[in-house]
Amino acid sequence: MVTRRTFLGGLGAVTLPIIAGARPGTAEAADAPVKGGSLTWGVETEPNTLNPHLNGQAKAKLILRNAYESLLARTPDGGYAPWLAKGYAVSEDGRTYTFRLRDDVTFSDGAKLDAAAVALNFTKLKEPTYSGSISAGHVSYISEAVAADPHTLVLKLDRVYAPFLDGISGLEILSPKSFASPQLKAGGPELSGTGPFILERYVKGQEIRFVRNPAYNWAPANAGHQGPAHLDRLTYRFLPESAVRTGALTSGQVDVIEGISGNDAGLFKDSPDFAYQNALNTGTPYTLYFNVTRGPTADVKVRKAILAAIDVERIIQSVYRGERQRAWGILTPADTDFYDKSIERSYGFDPKLANALLDEAGWTARDAGGFRTKDGKRLTIEVVQSQATVRDQRDILLQAVQAQARQNAGIELALQYVDAGTYANRQNDGQYGIIPNSTTTQENGLTIYFHYLPRSKGGSINYSRTEAPEVSAWLDEAASTLDAKKRFEIYAKLQRFALLEQAYGLPLYVPDDQIAASTRIKGVGFRPFKRLPESAYDIWLKP
Amino acid sequence: MDPQNTTAIRRSPAAWLPERLGLKRGGLALQIAARIGSGLLVLWAAVTLSFVSLQLAPGDIVSLLIGEQLRTPEVEATIRAEWGLDAPLPLQYLSYLSRILHGDFGRSYILQTDVTGLVLSQMLPTLKLTAAALVVALVFAVASAVSTAGRRVPRAIAGALELTLVSTPSFWLGILLLFVFSFTLKLFPVSGDRSFSALVLPALALGLSLGAVVGQVLREGLERALEEPFALTVRSWGTSDLVLRLRHCLRHAALPAVTLTGWLVGNLLSGAVITESVFGRPGLGRVTVEAVLGHDLPVVLAVAILSAFVYVALSTLVDVLYLLLDPRLRDESRETGR
Repeated sequence: MVTRRTFLGGLGAVTLPIIAGARPGTAEAADAPVKGGSLTWGVETEPNTLNPHLNGQAKAKLILRNAYESLLARTPDGGYAPWLAKGYAVSEDGRTYTFRLRDDVTFSDGAKLDAAAVALNFTKLKEPTYSGSISAGHVSYISEAVAADPHTLVLKLDRVYAPFLDGISGLEILSPKSFASPQLKAGGPELSGTGPFILERYVKGQEIRFVRNPAYNWAPANAGHQGPAHLDRLTYRFLPESAVRTGALTSGQVDVIEGISGNDAGLFKDSPDFAYQNALNTGTPYTLYFNVTRGPTADVKVRKAILAAIDVERIIQSVYRGERQRAWGILTPADTDFYDKSIERSYGFDPKLANALLDEAGWTARDAGGFRTKDGKRLTIEVVQSQATVRDQRDILLQAVQAQARQNAGIELALQYVDAGTYANRQNDGQYGIIPNSTTTQENGLTIYFHYLPRSKGGSINYSRTEAPEVSAWLDEAASTLDAKKRFEIYAKLQRFALLEQAYGLPLYVPDDQIAASTRIKGVGFRPFKRLPESAYDIWLKP
Repeated sequence: MDPQNTTAIRRSPAAWLPERLGLKRGGLALQIAARIGSGLLVLWAAVTLSFVSLQLAPGDIVSLLIGEQLRTPEVEATIRAEWGLDAPLPLQYLSYLSRILHGDFGRSYILQTDVTGLVLSQMLPTLKLTAAALVVALVFAVASAVSTAGRRVPRAIAGALELTLVSTPSFWLGILLLFVFSFTLKLFPVSGDRSFSALVLPALALGLSLGAVVGQVLREGLERALEEPFALTVRSWGTSDLVLRLRHCLRHAALPAVTLTGWLVGNLLSGAVITESVFGRPGLGRVTVEAVLGHDLPVVLAVAILSAFVYVALSTLVDVLYLLLDPRLRDESRETGR
């Protein structure tokens, strides 16, 4: 076996540099971190399960990462840093992954972390009875997970799959005993991880508490420090209302909050008592996806007309007061692997073009309401938004888009907010004109597959419902190579096709995460590369 | 009005229970059996209606569980088999009924946790909140009604205050209370079910508007009672006005208020949803809303059974209270009982 990439001493040819210390909190380095104290963090989202394998909520990660860790960490430039694995190697044919594990790691239940324990995690994840739809994801490519020796794990794949390393190295490793717990699926203190904190108590609807893991000495190589965490105790309190989180922080009842509305951001930005930071999400922007199989949006001219009819910049500026960034691509600019910047400003607001396109498409007459019509039918497009995912003033944003579509091009956008069940039905049956959506969890190009493969072939969130053969061919080509540059080019080509040629969607803005903290709290920040709020490992309290 | 009102004053309290409840000794067992039977009927109806309505609601549970993740036929089949969703509906319904008869409420589809434990652990904080809110409501209602009934200016002020409270959304009232008493004055903590002080603001937010409704009804009743001939009689004994109101008139005014309170407790439970989420409290309200939205059938059904049970218990309690408050009912039932 010849290794292509590695940072193992003995196993391979190339050694990757390890990027260390590029984290917020270490920048203000002059003061030495102080040990001790407890911290309370007000969060918006309560995890629906505390089992890190089964929890798919991006906003729950910051909590669960305190107790559960994975094989490799990511570096800001998209590389990998040692964590529970000291290094990894990929065989020449891209179908064998070897992870060399640390030999000094113990789970909080006392069990040793070894290759057999990690292999058990992957074997379990492949069982649909345990992991449901997750079994159809990354782990489905594993044909065999074996412990070559106590600290060497070998994963064999049945075919080359480019996003594999990102997916697999980020999966949290549970102690073998956890899989026998009756609480396995719900998660909780009975599930042991290797993290710097130990989950102590979960009070549903109220809070989740952690205590420091005194034995911890295996932080990722690029963490802000090594050794046990600074804090003694850590509490995440669930405060679903944004105004309440803000008030709880300003009145000193919590030390840190996440999820700050555009209106409240200024309150913390301008105050010397608080530090405010935000990070653009990876994944896809909040985008209007046009259904290409049904109604007026089946006509590419209509789709292009909508792209030209909306002055996105102006809307974003007025709705978010400059606190959000306009989006251009099929990925957000935070996705440093595959975001092709050349898409920016390659299309845009052009009402003349919009109207000319609609005339060409046959929507020439106007009715009493000023809307365009064809054969006596009004140009109406149903926008189906799930009520459950309305956040971040997106309802106001959609109203602004609706007003512009009407004023600039005589298009009627019928906004419909529906419950989760109706949404799932209409999404499955294609009963919509437009679905607005954004995703944050999948990376390394994976989200492109889910959005642009045919639904029958794994395009689970293919909102535009495109089945264009060239798109599928490109995606197959990209998935079967490990050459990142080649994949970048393919995705860039796909982006131009999807937005400029076919107008499958109109990207509106880049969602982000916000954190505000009292200034005596140090070391709060975002994860490198994935840009979600980081765990509390590096946080310390300035006396 | 009714001459029997005067008998209410004359009668001295005595060993009363079965008699006062209007139960003839021989019919007692029958009466209790009838009560339990109708209670069970209500429980069964609640289970069945919830089951049917969730089946009729849009969206398939398997789709909701998979969400926007990858779906393969194998995954779908596993999920159906795991939750018994592959059986025909009538069979699912019957097997559910038989399981709850054995005390097994199943496992939540979404939270993956045992429903009995979930509901029991969330019930206590909700009961605390609703009980505290009820106390707030009753104290507010009685105080406001007794002190202002029949007095022009105080009555107008109290009326205006009550109207404001009734028409204030509890979400907004909650935020306002938090802003003043928690964020600014820092008297009470914002969140959780951690101490008595954390219960004060949520109980006020939930209880005040209820108290305002009951207060208005109570005041009208009091005012009517104050004009009754017996009020004049009692005054002629030289009794003070406050004693007249509290001891003699309140009982007359209480009847419609009790009816209303029994009904409003149901509202308290639904109002708890918003209050719980504003104050970051644990509780059944939030659990229920999320379960309904996610078609989490086992949780919805368990909550339905619990609420039906609470409702049955409360309406029984209200009936008993009627008998205690209103001697007319006792006498009538005694007569018909003979």
